[in-house]
Amino acid sequence: MRFGTTITTGQLTTIAELRWRMFVNGLRSKRGKIELVSRIIVSLAFAFGGLGGFGLATGLSWYFVAHNQADFLPILLWPVFFFWQVFPVMATAFTNNPDSSELLRFPLTYRSFFLIRLAYGFFDPASALGSVGLLGILLGVTIAGPLLFPWALLALVTFGLFNLILMQTIFAWLERWLAQRRTREVLGVLFILFMLSFQLIGPMTQRLQHHPSPEFRRAVETATQLQRVFPPGLAGDAIAQAAHGEYMVGFTSLLFLGSITAAIGYLLHLRLRNQFRGENLSEAAARPAASLKPQAVQLGWNLPGFSPSVAAVFEKEMRYLARSGPMLLTLFMPLFMLLIFRLGPMSQMRHSTFLQRTPDMAFPAAAAYALLVLTNLVYNSFGPDAAGMQFFFASPATFQHILLGKNLMHASILLANAVLAWMAVAAFYGPPTPAVSVGTLVGLFFAAPLSFAAGNLLSLYSPKKRDFSTFGRQNASQITVLASFGVQIVVFGIGAAVFAIARLYRNLWIAPLVFFVLAIISVVVYIVVLGRMNALAIERRETLLAELCRA
Amino acid sequence: MDLAPTISTQGLTRRFGELVAVDGIDMRVAPGQFFGFLGPNGAGKSTTIKMLTGLLAPSSGRIEILGLDLNSHPVEVKRQIGVVPEGMALFGRLTGAEFLSFAGRMYGLDRETASRRAAELLDFMQLADQPKKLVTDYSHGMQKKLALAAAVIHGPKVLFLDEPFEGVDAIAAGTLKSMLQGMIARGATIFLTSHVLEIVERLCSHVAIIHQGKLVAQGSLEELRTGVEAQTPASGDGSSSAGEKLTLEQIFLRVVGGERRGEQELSWLG
Repeated sequence: MRFGTTITTGQLTTIAELRWRMFVNGLRSKRGKIELVSRIIVSLAFAFGGLGGFGLATGLSWYFVAHNQADFLPILLWPVFFFWQVFPVMATAFTNNPDSSELLRFPLTYRSFFLIRLAYGFFDPASALGSVGLLGILLGVTIAGPLLFPWALLALVTFGLFNLILMQTIFAWLERWLAQRRTREVLGVLFILFMLSFQLIGPMTQRLQHHPSPEFRRAVETATQLQRVFPPGLAGDAIAQAAHGEYMVGFTSLLFLGSITAAIGYLLHLRLRNQFRGENLSEAAARPAASLKPQAVQLGWNLPGFSPSVAAVFEKEMRYLARSGPMLLTLFMPLFMLLIFRLGPMSQMRHSTFLQRTPDMAFPAAAAYALLVLTNLVYNSFGPDAAGMQFFFASPATFQHILLGKNLMHASILLANAVLAWMAVAAFYGPPTPAVSVGTLVGLFFAAPLSFAAGNLLSLYSPKKRDFSTFGRQNASQITVLASFGVQIVVFGIGAAVFAIARLYRNLWIAPLVFFVLAIISVVVYIVVLGRMNALAIERRETLLAELCRA
Repeated sequence: MDLAPTISTQGLTRRFGELVAVDGIDMRVAPGQFFGFLGPNGAGKSTTIKMLTGLLAPSSGRIEILGLDLNSHPVEVKRQIGVVPEGMALFGRLTGAEFLSFAGRMYGLDRETASRRAAELLDFMQLADQPKKLVTDYSHGMQKKLALAAAVIHGPKVLFLDEPFEGVDAIAAGTLKSMLQGMIARGATIFLTSHVLEIVERLCSHVAIIHQGKLVAQGSLEELRTGVEAQTPASGDGSSSAGEKLTLEQIFLRVVGGERRGEQELSWLG
């Protein structure tokens, strides 16, 4: 239909122009320009990674095809598949997923809506890097066998399309499940557990490889056979069969891959069609009002030695954290990492020279990691407050008190994590020596105030509205990502240097002494910075309120 | 006797780049007044209330609340005022009781008083029946009631409300109105902005109208009525039949020069 086609093309062009205008308008402010520079730096890092992947994919695919080992091509396609699907969910901080459903108020045809959704997905970093990887494979295959080009192109384009559609399908269905707060929280916890279990695959495999059993070999053989019916295996098989001259078999694999892509596309269609028809996923529709008996209001928490406002902020922060399942689970990551290292390479390294001499370095490492996992909380501490930020400005409490309350919560979590890490290290590796234990704790008194001071500054300079109870569709400020990275490199670098010097002089008690001096400086820096917070918050209030209170 | 004003501004101005959103406002609100601050969209109402409550810095001018300069004594002023800003300023992941207790303590109440008042307010606002419900799961009307409860938990002498009745049903609006009238009866001063002129007419004793950043009228309803009638003969949409009092809507339309564009033809409109 000519009228419909014209409208669709016009709409797509308009949306592209809209995205461009949003980008250009975002550069009007100084902060927008700094964000752009930070984004370029992050993008360059991605580009280098992409180039590395491209080179590796080209070299290996050339090698496999040139040496008549094209059956090994799925080895390259599986990582592309995993990266394409898992990265967008993992690295929501680096990705930008505009909400296409906002466009539904306009007279958009369903076809346009569907295409826009795919187009948004195609500009995702994972899609870009995945496509670069596929391009590398195509190049390698073509160099090794130029006649395979059209066939490999068809197979890899189908495989790319499959990945693109699958990624969008996963996000579309996740959105459905994330529409309600309760399911959001449950899914968030499940997601992190999934990610954690994913981390265990490496160490477990290495462990099994170290002690291969007939059962393990059989399992690997079965998995190798089984992978052939999955898209990466099918795409690889389509090219490999063509390389062997078995075009009909290759075509069957390609047809199968195309069918799977169509089936996944149908699932996406089911979801998007409901969105297009204007389904209501609001909380109100999902949760009928509960009728509960009124309860007496409990007393707020008391924090001896601190003002009521500091205690109130501390309590509020703790309650927020307790209701943010995914964030809470993240805070236990140091313990989990200790377990992973115990199971995996570190357990083998334990017998190496370094850890034989200093087996209790695991505790400083775990303590440093405990500080690292606080990054999101410390460096964007007003993010979860959102519109509540107005309350802080309207109340008579000063920002010194507000940030002190927040930092006390961070310090409590850090201390609890350090104690748990000490116990875990003691259980997995044997108790750390007193010198290392004291050195690490004093080291935290150096590292934490510095991190908190930097975090408080960035929380006011570069705030970003966040909901730590969910994942997905939330972007961290690129400025914060880079600056926090820089601060942590300096802080951990100093910490590592202090322990290295102590080891050099064969006296680990040097570490607590040096850290003590550094801690005094660090605390002074923290106090000075905290003293500036109220004036800075007042100075930055318009930016803070505009960023955090937006709908 | 002319009482010292509870709220006064002198030459209050706010610029956003080249735009002058609020242009040299001189305003006086006497103690115990229920003061309505009106204006068309984009006139500068929200900008003014944000400046009066410390949420936005003025470009120039002076604000005094209860005789204290807001710029030099912000904390002392904030202790004595309550605010329901445009975005309601709620913490979504607390329960209503937790939020009110938190708000009370942020305003310097001790734990016992904060908790007791929180319970009383929840009961008064009919929010006590779902104690475990998080604020984020409240309906819009419930959130408005909670925001007002948080603004009054410390017993403020002055209350600033930005569109308190927007999106609130008749039942919730009734609860809010009775609470506000009770506060006025006990000597508090209330400054509110609203687009609903009927509510302002019914509740407020004094009104100011802002138009294109400038204060174009200020006084009691009767003073405004007299002033408008003296300045312009009754005509057009702002007219009233002989003997009938002008409504606030008619006064408003005359003061801001509101023209209804009924005659203008949009021929393409179905």
